[in-house]
Amino acid sequence: MSVGDKKTTQGWLGSEQRRLLIQEYGIFLAFLILVAVLSVSNEFFLTAGNISNVLLQTSINGVLAIGMTFVILTRGIDLSVGSVVALAGIVSASFMTSSATAGVAGAPYPVALGLGIGLLVGIACGAISGLIVSRFSVPAFVTTLGMLSAARGMTLIYGGGRPVPALTPAFRWIGTGDVFGIPAPVIILAVVFAVSWWILNRTRFGRYIYAVGGNPHAARTSGIDITRIQFLVYVISGGLAGFAGMLLSARTGSALPQAGIAYELDAIAAVVIGGTSLSGGVGRVTGTLIGALIIGVMNNGLDLMGIQSYYQQVLKGALIVGAVMLDQKRNYGA
Amino acid sequence: MKRWMIALASATALLAAPAMAQDKIKIGAAPYGLNAEFMQIWVAALQEHPAVKSGEVELTVFDGRYDALVQQDQFKTMVTQKYNAIIFAPIDVDAGAAAVQAAADAGIPVIGSNTRVHSDLLTSYVGSDDTISGYMEAKTVLDKIGCKGNVVILEGPVGQSAQISRLEGNKKALAECPDVKVLEDQTANWSRAEAQTLMENWLTAHPNQINGVIGQNDEMALGAIEAIKAAKLDVKSFAIAGIDGITDALHAVKNGDMTSILQDARAQAQGALDLAILNAKKGEYKPQSDIWETYKDMPWKDGKEKLYNVPWTPVTADNVDKLLATRK
Repeated sequence: MSVGDKKTTQGWLGSEQRRLLIQEYGIFLAFLILVAVLSVSNEFFLTAGNISNVLLQTSINGVLAIGMTFVILTRGIDLSVGSVVALAGIVSASFMTSSATAGVAGAPYPVALGLGIGLLVGIACGAISGLIVSRFSVPAFVTTLGMLSAARGMTLIYGGGRPVPALTPAFRWIGTGDVFGIPAPVIILAVVFAVSWWILNRTRFGRYIYAVGGNPHAARTSGIDITRIQFLVYVISGGLAGFAGMLLSARTGSALPQAGIAYELDAIAAVVIGGTSLSGGVGRVTGTLIGALIIGVMNNGLDLMGIQSYYQQVLKGALIVGAVMLDQKRNYGA
Repeated sequence: MKRWMIALASATALLAAPAMAQDKIKIGAAPYGLNAEFMQIWVAALQEHPAVKSGEVELTVFDGRYDALVQQDQFKTMVTQKYNAIIFAPIDVDAGAAAVQAAADAGIPVIGSNTRVHSDLLTSYVGSDDTISGYMEAKTVLDKIGCKGNVVILEGPVGQSAQISRLEGNKKALAECPDVKVLEDQTANWSRAEAQTLMENWLTAHPNQINGVIGQNDEMALGAIEAIKAAKLDVKSFAIAGIDGITDALHAVKNGDMTSILQDARAQAQGALDLAILNAKKGEYKPQSDIWETYKDMPWKDGKEKLYNVPWTPVTADNVDKLLATRK
């Protein structure tokens, strides 16, 4: 990992070293350049209020992308997260609304119950996908594509296609509250990131995830329970999607059945931009966080400058492909 | 004697069965998609129509799933099954024309409702003119800020007929207030979450400069309200308007946070159904829905008109409670 390990014959920063440096930290560099450009071109970009906005706007995609990183590291994919966002959002909201008609009998319940239920819905969706992928060897793409459709359908069935409005202030705090001026969703993202970093870098489970993604056959031969690891990554992704769903409804103040459509694409984009390889085993959750921040900063910056959102989509597309090109170069040499 | 009676009874039943099936008018409703509240109210209104409740009409609803091709296939199904009339809310003005053509070829009358279609073959259309609502909502915002200051516009998906017409209406109202500056004008794709993000960024880019928010639908206006609240600004110091009259927006109107222009899904649906029955029966029909009583500005005129314009209703503190009572 460290650049200094490589021997070189030219100066302290030879071409070989420079190449490696760009490949390893390219995404971080790109992020810094983006921030620098926006800071110079817009007076409001680097204000405390705007930084807080960018982090807030990145929080939901960030949480989803971190969950996605676990899955992609094992060579999987989770296309269902956007639908799970909607399902968990609407189910938990029905326990957290003060509207007499939209909620379940007895609502609103204590926040802990609503949060628990939303998390459980996400975990359940992830567990179903995980079980099918790991036990029945159905490709992750197909399994989670099925879950994408099924969870959206369940969302519409559960709420009768109607939004659940009037969420309690206590529940809305997770989306709109703050601690010493730091928005609650940002703190949540930071905690999710820290725990995920610790799991992936400091635990046996984390090492197994890399092993399973890097070489499943070798992992199995060395006694790793691949099925269990594969199952658990979908549970993590589903649980985090459930959590993101609650963040979204808490933020918008109403759980909408159309929420989260195409969110899986932004999550995958953040992971890919962050340098995690779709062929598994390679990647870091730090990269994912930066990938999510790049998307957030770009959208924010272009909004501040009054540039149509269509350009944001074109730029995001270019970024995704560019990041994978970098990844290919790293894997197969240049 | 007894056996003879049974034979007679069953013979009558056999004869009566097809006759009864013929008496029931088969009407198909083809809305573009059922995921949003507006179309759900529309469908519910069809099912509550007196003719459906009495069993005079057999109504089947086909969910178009926001796909022009799906809708076209559903028309083929209705043609094959010999429906007597079709109520059509197409996803796309142009793509819907082929479906109307297929029904017309089979001699089935098609009544448009809610969304428009470019076709001369449509028997009648019952809808609301989006340029009018665009004008009305912009006007309420401009009136509230006294025809001076700065506004932002949250647009629908660019190219959709409602976005085009509502923007036209917005611009017409803005032209009457040359001192008002449009600071930002972007699409948030009818989405509350997208509008919230945009508004957060706009509040940063134009601190203390935005006086009014013209949301081309209620969802986006509500997103702007959330962004204003998140920035710890006073929502009531902004003039905010949306269109459609969805339930969440009615609550916001009650709160004094915004104005909404109600699009009457019930009138569009029940009006279209009355016209469909009339055309299925080929005349000799008196409309049964109470909407013709409600809207004196939209006379029935024996069902001969091509275009029925359902008026828009501004939602205010005076009528909001009554409207909320209709949403269960």
